[in-house]
Amino acid sequence: MSKGRVLVVDDEPQIQRFLRPALSACGFEVLAAGTGREALRLIASAAPDAVVLDLGLPDMDGKEVLREARSFSKVPVIVLSARDREAEKIAAFDSGADDYVEKPFGIGELMARLRTALRHAGQRGAGITHFRSGSLAVDFDRRLVTCHGEAIKLTPKEFELLAALARHAGRVLTHRQILAAIWGPAHENDTQYLRVFVGHLRAKIEDDPAAPKLIQTEPGIGYRLTASE
Amino acid sequence: MPKSERELDRRPDPDSLLALAGQEVRGKLCLFLGAAPGVGKTYAMLAKARTLKAEGVECVIGLAETHGRQETEILAEGLEILPRRKIEYHGRTIEEFDLDAALLRRPKLIIVDELAHTNAPGSRHPKRWHDVEELLDAGINVWSALNIQHLESLADVVSRITGVTVRETVPDRVLRDATDVILVDITPDDLIQRLKEGKVYVPETAKRATQNFFTPRNLTALRELALRRTAERVDDQMVDFLRRGAIEGPWATAERLLVCVGRTTSSESVVRAAARMASGLNASWVALYIERSGQEEQSGEAKKRVDNALRLAERLGAKLERLTGDDLAGEVLRFAREENITQIVVGRSRSGLLARLLRRSLTDEIVRRSTDIAVHVVIPEQPRHERERRRLRLAPPPGLWTGIAGAAVLVALTIAAGQLLDQWLQLPNLAVLFLLPVVLCAAWFGLWPAIAAAALSFLACDFFFVEPRYQFTVTKPQEFLALAVSLAIAVITGMLASRMREHSKNMSSRAQTAQSLFEFSRKLSSAAGLDDILWVAAAHTQKSLGMKSVVMLLPEDDELRIRAAWPPIDQLEAGEAAAARWAFEKSEPAGWRTDTLPNLRLQFRPLTTAGSAVGVAGFEPANMSEPVAPQDERMLTSILEQTAIAIDRSLLAGESVKAAALEENERLRTTLLASLSHDLRTPLASITGAVTSLQQLGDKMPAPDRHDLLNSIEEEAGRLSRFVANLLDMSRIESGALAPRRELVDVAEAVRASIARCKKIFPDFRVSTSVAPELPPIRADANLLGQVLFNLLDNANKYGGPAGASVYARPEAGDIVITVTDQGPGIKPADLERVFEKFYRGGRPDGRKAGTGLGLSISRGLVEAMGGTIRAQSPAVRKRGTRIILRFKAEQRPALAGER
Repeated sequence: MSKGRVLVVDDEPQIQRFLRPALSACGFEVLAAGTGREALRLIASAAPDAVVLDLGLPDMDGKEVLREARSFSKVPVIVLSARDREAEKIAAFDSGADDYVEKPFGIGELMARLRTALRHAGQRGAGITHFRSGSLAVDFDRRLVTCHGEAIKLTPKEFELLAALARHAGRVLTHRQILAAIWGPAHENDTQYLRVFVGHLRAKIEDDPAAPKLIQTEPGIGYRLTASE
Repeated sequence: MPKSERELDRRPDPDSLLALAGQEVRGKLCLFLGAAPGVGKTYAMLAKARTLKAEGVECVIGLAETHGRQETEILAEGLEILPRRKIEYHGRTIEEFDLDAALLRRPKLIIVDELAHTNAPGSRHPKRWHDVEELLDAGINVWSALNIQHLESLADVVSRITGVTVRETVPDRVLRDATDVILVDITPDDLIQRLKEGKVYVPETAKRATQNFFTPRNLTALRELALRRTAERVDDQMVDFLRRGAIEGPWATAERLLVCVGRTTSSESVVRAAARMASGLNASWVALYIERSGQEEQSGEAKKRVDNALRLAERLGAKLERLTGDDLAGEVLRFAREENITQIVVGRSRSGLLARLLRRSLTDEIVRRSTDIAVHVVIPEQPRHERERRRLRLAPPPGLWTGIAGAAVLVALTIAAGQLLDQWLQLPNLAVLFLLPVVLCAAWFGLWPAIAAAALSFLACDFFFVEPRYQFTVTKPQEFLALAVSLAIAVITGMLASRMREHSKNMSSRAQTAQSLFEFSRKLSSAAGLDDILWVAAAHTQKSLGMKSVVMLLPEDDELRIRAAWPPIDQLEAGEAAAARWAFEKSEPAGWRTDTLPNLRLQFRPLTTAGSAVGVAGFEPANMSEPVAPQDERMLTSILEQTAIAIDRSLLAGESVKAAALEENERLRTTLLASLSHDLRTPLASITGAVTSLQQLGDKMPAPDRHDLLNSIEEEAGRLSRFVANLLDMSRIESGALAPRRELVDVAEAVRASIARCKKIFPDFRVSTSVAPELPPIRADANLLGQVLFNLLDNANKYGGPAGASVYARPEAGDIVITVTDQGPGIKPADLERVFEKFYRGGRPDGRKAGTGLGLSISRGLVEAMGGTIRAQSPAVRKRGTRIILRFKAEQRPALAGER
């Protein structure tokens, strides 16, 4: 049975050429688009469960496609991008991307991201009240955080930070997104601020704060809370 | 006063601190001041230098005049002495201080004796104190010696005391700005004793004069001057120190002096008096010269006197101002109030009895009208030859005789007219008629012809029309009165008319100046580029100011180059180049009639804008012996200012163009990096993706999919390899490492082979060929030609669309022409040449169509290395498509053995 429908948007035929058999082998139904227009049409008409989007398209910018898609769809989008384009990645997240994979990538990595995105999409709007990952557990309603079963005392801001990361577990939140959500839009650029808070939080919840396993840094982009597999 | 405010007031004066900071960069000058020669200045200087040297301070003698005195020479031993510069002048060898050697040597401290010395002609500076200034500017500390008689402001006092005229003078500011002044003092009796013992150097020729000079009376007076000057300086230093430390004390309020420079011979001594007063008051001062409007063209003599007085004032530290106006006293007072002048110094003007009766002198006028400003009236000594000068000044101005002749003619005409009228009408008084020639003469020829006309009219009227006629007698007193009145009216109207005439002449000359400047700025604004601006400026300066030649120089790679000259020259002499350099670096005029290299025929002026000097303008005046006239000077200044601004603007525009080019370059680089990384990454991504898919999911895939993935890996690896090969080719072409073989190649075969290779990689690509039969071979490298054709076909496949491509080969005028034509959208005419540039590419950097941007550029490199040419043509067929045309020289087909 089909695990879902995935739209692959890439103008390079050779990328399509290996993604189609790989995704089919994993049980996905694959749709392909070579241009931004075609992609938007398919997102609207074929309602894919996830989109794999290359940022370099011949007819329009990938970020533009994202923004337009976000105006009518909440489909999880995984962006394919190059390592030397940090700014573009951040812009993609700010335009509404759910995750990204760097080119060149192994198929395993893409599949893992795809699964996380799909699972998260399934939970969206389901009003989750609990989160668990490794030794960490968060009870959103009671604002209770436990680590190895012991309650941990967090300041209100630390809790909000952890909650934001937990709600998007497995996915990247950009510095800007976190700062805007917790400290307000006026502080969107105070990344130094954020670094300090993440440091405090890690000291409280990580087994070894020097080698964090739960809150992972995405250099230059943001943070990702490891989701339990 | 509250305490905090008091504190505020006692903070150090920032200006004093700034001046202090300025001193740190500049070298320090220590002056050894003496009352007369022989007091032991050089001795004191050398003795002190020895002590310093013993303490380890680097101390060099640039020049010390020991005059053969043994004890002094012994002191100089052991100190480093710079060799002197030898100058040939009129067959004699003159030894001078070598400024350049000193600047090159750059010691911590240098001794340069006899500050007032005049350098030999042809030296960089006319005076030694200029050399010292340059050393100080270069940050070198200098010790020098000076006798009080050589101080500029004291020159006339000294000559009055001693009867000796002082020619070599040093401006007072040199003494004022010296960091230290050490007074070398001995009593007059001791000095006379030393003179008797032969310890004072006296040149043979001056023996007698010296006898008169070294009298106790003279020496005492000079000693007093020296002591007082030193004391004043110490006082200044004290005040300075108080200010810097913000120590409360009674400070003199800021006084400002104004000295009025006139045309008389005595104005120089008035200037000196003002200078002494200013330095006594520690005040800044301004020398003002006012021309009566319309009287700019005075006799050369007077002009020279004014000029000399102003130059003297400048040397003595005054600021110069020139004004024009009608009400001289009013102008002086207006200027004084504007400039916050506290004291005015004027010379007493000596005028004849008549002038004194008729109107007040300028001095009296100033004294009468000055309400709040103190006026000092200086009574200068009247030199004996003044009277002769006065007579000279009355010499007829040019054109006087023509005027008087004109007057005679006019009067004659009036007589004739009078006779006629007298016959027809019996007029009671014909004298009125004679006003006419007087007024006309005044209007046309000026005051003197008008007076002549009045006199002639008086006589003529008396002779012809007053009874008894034809006699110069007047019988009735009322007629005499009428004649006298008419003469008075003649003089007054004549004066008024001549004033009017001069005024309008003045106005029109001003209008001409303004017009000329306006024209210049119009020409400048329409100048297309930098060179145009400079040409316009050079030509205009030459024409409007009647210069012999004008040259414009701009800096270029650390060197000043001639960018425009009128009349054209392309090289400056060494001295001129040095002066130009000086003007540019110091932002000061140099050359003719300046303090730097005054012997040159050209003067160089810096072209300065707010920022700094942008270039230098040099000009050779038509008349070397006269300074630039004031009105020409004003015009020259504004021309140079406008030119500097125009140059600056043009340079800025040039810089913005450069910046735009850089930005474009940067943009290209970014695009290039993006596409290079895209070209490398896409095949890598497909290979990685396919390999990992096969590894992890291979067993879940159907066999055809697995097969396709393996194929794609092979293809992508090929693509990568082609890309890398392209990059290598490019670098080989660029480094010149490419050595194509020059063998005979059959074109048909080369075309076939490249199409076959193309088909293997792009199986769906349609290529049609047409090769002329019996085509002669070309001399080329078969491999490289194949590579070129493949690149062209690859491009045709990428950009040409589905219609495919065609390859033709045919002979044409001794050449073989090979064309590859596609039916794609074509290339814009502007880009036909650019497509061969490295990394130029059609389409978007990330787009599907993008290639490496190297194909055509490599092709061109290869074709040219093989001796052929390549160019692009678009549109090719029916307003579409691109045709790439290769052209090689046709070779003789070699005769095969067995043929014929």
